[in-house]
Amino acid sequence: MILRQIVIATRLGLRSLTTRLWQSLVIVIGMAWVIGILLSMLSMTEGLHQAYLRSGDPRGVIVVSRGTDFEINSSLTRDQAHIVINAPGIAKAPDGSPVAEPGLMVAVPAVLKNGAKSPIVLRGVEDKGAMLEPTFHLVGGRMFRPGTRELIAGVRADAQFKGMAVGDKVILPNGEWPIVGSFATGDLRDGQLLGDTETLMPALRRKAYTTVLARLGSPDAFAAFRAALTRNPALAVDVMRVPDWNSKISADFNRFLNVFVYGVGVILAVGALFGCFNTMYAAVSARAIEIATLRALGYSGFAVAASVLLEAILLSVAGALIGAFIAWGLFDGVPSGFGSDVFTLLVSPALFLTAVLWAIAVALLGGILPSLRAAGGTVSAALRAH
Amino acid sequence: VKYFPLVWAALRRKPVRSVVTLLSVTVAFTLFGLMIGLNATLNLMEERARADRIWVWPRFDNAGMPVTVARQIAKLPEVKKVSVMSYLPAYVADPKNRVFVAFFDDAYGDIFPDWGPSPEQWEMIRRNRTAMVMSRSMAKLYNKKVGDIFTVIAPQVSKADGTHSWTFQVAGIGEDVTANPGGYFNANYEYYDKSVLPADQGKMNEVDILATDPALAPALAVKIDALFANSASPTQSNTEKSLLTSNAFGGMDLHKLTREIALAGLLMILFLTANVIAQSVRERRVELATLLAIGFSGFAVTALVVLEAALICLAGAACGMAIAAALAAQVPALLPRGFGMPLAMISASVIVWALASAFVLALASAVLPALRLMRLDVASALAGRT
Repeated sequence: MILRQIVIATRLGLRSLTTRLWQSLVIVIGMAWVIGILLSMLSMTEGLHQAYLRSGDPRGVIVVSRGTDFEINSSLTRDQAHIVINAPGIAKAPDGSPVAEPGLMVAVPAVLKNGAKSPIVLRGVEDKGAMLEPTFHLVGGRMFRPGTRELIAGVRADAQFKGMAVGDKVILPNGEWPIVGSFATGDLRDGQLLGDTETLMPALRRKAYTTVLARLGSPDAFAAFRAALTRNPALAVDVMRVPDWNSKISADFNRFLNVFVYGVGVILAVGALFGCFNTMYAAVSARAIEIATLRALGYSGFAVAASVLLEAILLSVAGALIGAFIAWGLFDGVPSGFGSDVFTLLVSPALFLTAVLWAIAVALLGGILPSLRAAGGTVSAALRAH
Repeated sequence: VKYFPLVWAALRRKPVRSVVTLLSVTVAFTLFGLMIGLNATLNLMEERARADRIWVWPRFDNAGMPVTVARQIAKLPEVKKVSVMSYLPAYVADPKNRVFVAFFDDAYGDIFPDWGPSPEQWEMIRRNRTAMVMSRSMAKLYNKKVGDIFTVIAPQVSKADGTHSWTFQVAGIGEDVTANPGGYFNANYEYYDKSVLPADQGKMNEVDILATDPALAPALAVKIDALFANSASPTQSNTEKSLLTSNAFGGMDLHKLTREIALAGLLMILFLTANVIAQSVRERRVELATLLAIGFSGFAVTALVVLEAALICLAGAACGMAIAAALAAQVPALLPRGFGMPLAMISASVIVWALASAFVLALASAVLPALRLMRLDVASALAGRT
């Protein structure tokens, strides 16, 4: 009964929408605008977040020196790396050797396409590198030869930086290193350079690795593996699963981006909320006689209020979806990057859901007072007023 | 001014609508204030950045350069003054409370007189090995006052005494500076150098140079890098100006971004205010026609409409600026500790921009209703015909 009343009252309201076209468009356009901007910005945070989470071997573990915030600051000596690689729990390759290797990460000065200076990440890998990077494959040129001054570049490095294409040369302390191949992994590595660890170490005058990457024989082996390493007095290391490490190192920047993006989004949404309030308030005024008539016919105040809210929600969600689809069309899948951190802008289904939820929240908050006004007041007073 | 009672009456006609419109304009200008305020801070940082100061970092390594690099640089004829510094990545009590302690030699205070500590405070650092001068914001955050002991833990750096904790005496609380939004902890280089393992002594992380002439500085930076290109410690040198002017955020153009977001907020609100003004004019057709009939000029009546819009927009801009100023102070609490994000500042130029934008917003909202008003046929309006 009450449901029927709500439906009828809402349909009545929607039928007169055309007479309040511009007014109603305030909600639709306002919401489309807010959601369009919010999702455009969120496509960046979402894309970067996903790139970080997906990078590296999801079954992998990373070992860094204790208290390290960023891989680049970590330092593991040869002896330490040797102990880590031979620790219990690491998976075995077909030849019986552990699927683990020490790695190196350095930042090499580079110039972005827009002329700004920004370092590019250079990693050292060895023969287990491909096993520890399951999605790695060459897309052009050839692999670097171990022992030679050769690098390969991620497919996106060339788009981000000047002079990072196959055939270009990168200057390291001991001279020029030609880029001989191009690789893709589908994650952050696509914006990085790769070379042979043992050739890079003397070139960069490094005596220590930065990390050891390993894959465990089974996920359950992690606790024992970590315990073995952290209790070893010869080591001072932190042991983490690769996805956990990725979210740890990106946590601060992620939080900063979220504060910025949601801050802007919330402020815009509050603006849209007032727009919604104004519109529904005007709608209730314009439909005063109609609403009073409904009440006189025996429609409950609740049904009338609900119909006003429903109208606000429909307009707001329609606007949000328009905004979301525009953001999706403009940005979804567009390559982007902060320096060496490359990622793809992402307007995911989850963001569409966010858009709809925001729209409903804005409509409810903005529509509640006008709807109460529609429900309240005596019928006779409303009819007499006009 | 004499129209003011009329404008005021128009606004009071629908008080709820006027207030809500005012609030939504306020919201748009809150966003405007935060964004353009951030822009103003960035501008100030760029403006204050010195063209004659050069920062020299290790090119590939962050493990430090030998201090001899600084001595060699000091011999160059274009160099007026040289200082060295080392950073200590550390935390206070909990790894989440990340801090960077910077250790300076005696010359640093002369090269950077504009970076916080007063000359007397620099003198305290020179005279007392364990003295520390921290910025006001950091002293507040960690609840320290002059005379207190301040201890940090630095797991990544081994001290000669086998511990990882560093103890300082708070000798002074320095002023915060725009260029260093993350706050600072300044200490004595000798303390650092004589505390680390003997093998790590005599190293530093950064050389800072004052050039004899700002015009020579860019070439001097290139010259320094060339000088060390084939040495054991290749360098990367940049003038402070170029570091702080080129987009330091991985190629992200913050100026453009903040301006676009501010504009987006205004455009969203424009649609709302234009609608409200149009509606208000529509409702008062008869009144406005009466004014025309009793001898008000068309210009005067149009001015009334524009004034009505201007009053809302200017008041909203003023409220928005006030809220933005209050919010800006709260931003650091939302960000990760030690995250050096520049804060929005509501400077005079930001306020001027806001008022100018408010005026443009008012004109833009009033233009369509005003045009319609000019075509108003007084006789038919008074007769109640549409």
